[in-house]
Amino acid sequence: MKLEGEHVFNGPREDVWEMFYDPAILASAVPGMDKLDVVAENVYEGVMNVRIGPVSGKFQGKLTLTDVVEPENLTLTVDGKGAPGYGKGVGKVAFIQNSDGTTTLKYDGDMNIGGALASVGQRMIDSVAKSMIRSAFETLDKALEARLAAKKTGTEVNFTPPTQTEFATGVAKDMVGGFTKVPELRLILYILPVVAVLVILALTLSK
Amino acid sequence: MAERVFHKSILRNEDPQILAGKAQYLDDIELPGLLYAAFKRSDYAHARLKSIDVSEARALPGVIGVYTAEDFGDLVKPGPLQVPPPTAIKGATYSSRTLMPIAKDKVRYSGEPVAVVIAESRYIAEDACDYIYPDYEPLEAVIDLEKALQPGATLVHEDLPSNEAAHVVQERGNYAEAAKKADVIIKKKIYVDRVAAAALENRGIVINWDEKAQMMTIWCGTQSPITLRNATASRMGLFENQVRVITPFTGGGFGPKINTSMPDDVLLTELAVRLNRPIKWYEDRRENFLATTSERDQVHYAEIALTKEGKFLGFKDVFYHNSGAYDPYMMTVPLNTQTHTVSNYNIPNFYTEITMVFSNEMVVTPVRGAGRPQGVFVMERMIDAAARELKMDVAEIRRINLIQPDAYPVSTGIIGQDFVEGVLDSGDYPTALAKAMSMIDYKKFREEIQPKARAEGKHLGIGICTFTEGTGVGPYEGAKITVGGNGKVSVATGVATQGQAHYTTFAQIAAEQLGVEVKDVKVVTGDTGAFAWGAGTFASRGATVAGTAIHLAAVKVKDKALKLASKILETPESELELVGGYIQVADIPGKKISLGELASMANPMRGTFPPGAEPGLEAVAYYGPPYGATGAGCMAMILDVDAETMKPKIERLVMVHDCGIPINPMVVEGQVHGGIQMGIGNAFFEKVFYDETGQLLTASFMDYLFPQATDMPPKIEMGHTEIPSPLNPLGIKGVGEAGAIPTPAVFTQALEDALYDTGVEIMESNLSPSKVYSYVMKAKGA
Repeated sequence: MKLEGEHVFNGPREDVWEMFYDPAILASAVPGMDKLDVVAENVYEGVMNVRIGPVSGKFQGKLTLTDVVEPENLTLTVDGKGAPGYGKGVGKVAFIQNSDGTTTLKYDGDMNIGGALASVGQRMIDSVAKSMIRSAFETLDKALEARLAAKKTGTEVNFTPPTQTEFATGVAKDMVGGFTKVPELRLILYILPVVAVLVILALTLSK
Repeated sequence: MAERVFHKSILRNEDPQILAGKAQYLDDIELPGLLYAAFKRSDYAHARLKSIDVSEARALPGVIGVYTAEDFGDLVKPGPLQVPPPTAIKGATYSSRTLMPIAKDKVRYSGEPVAVVIAESRYIAEDACDYIYPDYEPLEAVIDLEKALQPGATLVHEDLPSNEAAHVVQERGNYAEAAKKADVIIKKKIYVDRVAAAALENRGIVINWDEKAQMMTIWCGTQSPITLRNATASRMGLFENQVRVITPFTGGGFGPKINTSMPDDVLLTELAVRLNRPIKWYEDRRENFLATTSERDQVHYAEIALTKEGKFLGFKDVFYHNSGAYDPYMMTVPLNTQTHTVSNYNIPNFYTEITMVFSNEMVVTPVRGAGRPQGVFVMERMIDAAARELKMDVAEIRRINLIQPDAYPVSTGIIGQDFVEGVLDSGDYPTALAKAMSMIDYKKFREEIQPKARAEGKHLGIGICTFTEGTGVGPYEGAKITVGGNGKVSVATGVATQGQAHYTTFAQIAAEQLGVEVKDVKVVTGDTGAFAWGAGTFASRGATVAGTAIHLAAVKVKDKALKLASKILETPESELELVGGYIQVADIPGKKISLGELASMANPMRGTFPPGAEPGLEAVAYYGPPYGATGAGCMAMILDVDAETMKPKIERLVMVHDCGIPINPMVVEGQVHGGIQMGIGNAFFEKVFYDETGQLLTASFMDYLFPQATDMPPKIEMGHTEIPSPLNPLGIKGVGEAGAIPTPAVFTQALEDALYDTGVEIMESNLSPSKVYSYVMKAKGA
């Protein structure tokens, strides 16, 4: 699965980079994420639980950053596996400072998935993954806004990440009408957060 | 004279039981203390299995045991070959790498079992699989057949020098010489993709080991209970009669259920003995897609040499056949492709070359059609390409090249799946073509209907193709017929039934001889306790081979009954007849004896017994043909294609076929209808799709599209031609696969004809609207 695209953050490059520095923020952008631990320099491990429908079990993701050029670009390798299958991807992420004070994040990645994820969820994965990336960026937009506001006023960061249900609903809205009314298709919504974890981790995390 | 019941459309004996929900299927079998099995399957198509942690799964409440390769000791070795290699073909080379019961050190296809869980319930068994943690080192997956053969390619079996599984060349005449004399030579690359058999009922097995009786009973919807029994007995050191295999009612076979020595039957028979408890395993649909065999995947480089008048001079076909990760079924499928490529046409020079390739995909074994659809697809597509080149009518170019009805028997010079040279025993191909043309109003369609439709902007296309179906191959089948004291007749044979109406057609054969009602003939198929010999249900051979054995046994019982009745009724045999369950003197009403009474008298409990006599009204007979009986036919189809969405609609479908003398024409129609449905699926809807890493992306009916009732033509118009086979006394030929064989070729031909204004040429089956659209775009140069 090819994933490429870009997103414009309403803030300077250094702040965007710094936001990614905080694993808690990233974990919050990903539904079902239990934790995201720094296990070594540039190596993170994430654990999430998916317990809905026939696709259930622990999913563990390992993320490695290479070619890190702060605050410009990095390469991510993500390797995740669990009862629902596995995912392995490599993505290049670049942060470009725009003249209007915003930051463009460009991503270009390749992802292989296997197991039940591939054999049951394949049909929808491509489009839903893209939709979930968009949703995650929206969450990160708000997180960045909250961080910038806090920085300005010198107060605590006031940010509540969306719940898993809100996240799934957002994705559902992106899909064709009536999508959520079909029980078999609804299942896909629960498979895809797993993919999204890997995708989003791969695309946005940095040290 | 008794009323004839052979060659008659009578309702099926088994239907009342099935329709009332009273038929016993595998999952209906419950035994005291039954345990349930589930398999942990590899997520990777190709990986080293470094270790596997089952401790968490073992600790779960309700789990009886979790077993990996190391728990099975010597059992973990390649299984037996299901089919021998084609040593009869000169120069054939092959490497047999048969299925492993459980992966050890390495997994070779996505879905290969790495552990098996036995638990008190299926829920627990399946859940426990999630707590098994294999540690894999992924390897590059071998998927592309031609790349797989390049030097340096990753090896599926590292002990072999390459991924080549087998290589076979067969030639009649001399293609190279023929090509020199040809006016036209056309070369094409043709691709046929993979389909699932997708029987309504998945695979499954129930095993009970009776320690006190030292007897194992296996219930399994297998197509070959005898093979399953033999393999189990010899593996476990038991006599064959210590293993009884019973096939309950089974919801479809279509090929893959012929396989035995699969992971399930090997491991679970062992565990049933070890645990001394009965075990049930029932595949789910995803497992069926992943780990039950499938078929078709071939790449052909074909060449046809013709005169400018359209006469075929020669045909060359060099093809790659995907064997999957192992090759337990050896070369049945590609050999069928070889024998069915040119079989019904006069082609004096034919060169055919198979390279069978190992890949990291599920094992390939026959699926209804079994190599034949590929051969027919390649030939018929090449003929269409030739017709286009020569600007000839597609029906006419076929007509002038067909084998003529006075030519039989025709030796083909090509050795087939039964390891003897193919011989076409009988047939009339020109009549079949003419009949199909007339039924579909071919001339009127070309001259009036199609031009008018095109003028209106409609895309209406026609396809017409001919084919043969090699059926009824050896080695042999047998049957035992017994008249009971109740006057009814029992028939037992070794082949198994998966819905083919054997309980009716076999009963008709016996009833025809014995003068009883068809409903009074009880047929037992696939119970090794009832009949212990035979080979199984495959290659459209049940009716032909087992049916003939039943006929021969019935004739023996009839002779026996007449002899005995002649004595009792003091009338010469020639004056006796079997009618309505009695043997009666033809001209004297009331002078008769019932078959039941006669059966009891043939089994005396006191007194003396003449030397040489055999008790009961019972006989056993066997039949083995010298070679298979070849069915044939012609299919025509009119397709209406929406040129924007590429959605095709089958407006008319005509099938003219010859299966010799049909035992029950209604049943034959049902067989053909089912085959056509599969053929339509193969042509346009179905595709088992592996990605480049060997992941199966079509493991549910959400992604694997089956043609629905609405995708079928409104009516299948059937034309029967009945050319009796000289190979058996009933004149029958098989028909189980007929419908599936020509359909993709006819469909694709009609599709091209419908999209005439795009100039599209489609050398591929397993299409879809988007695939057709991409072909059209390419044809338009977009």
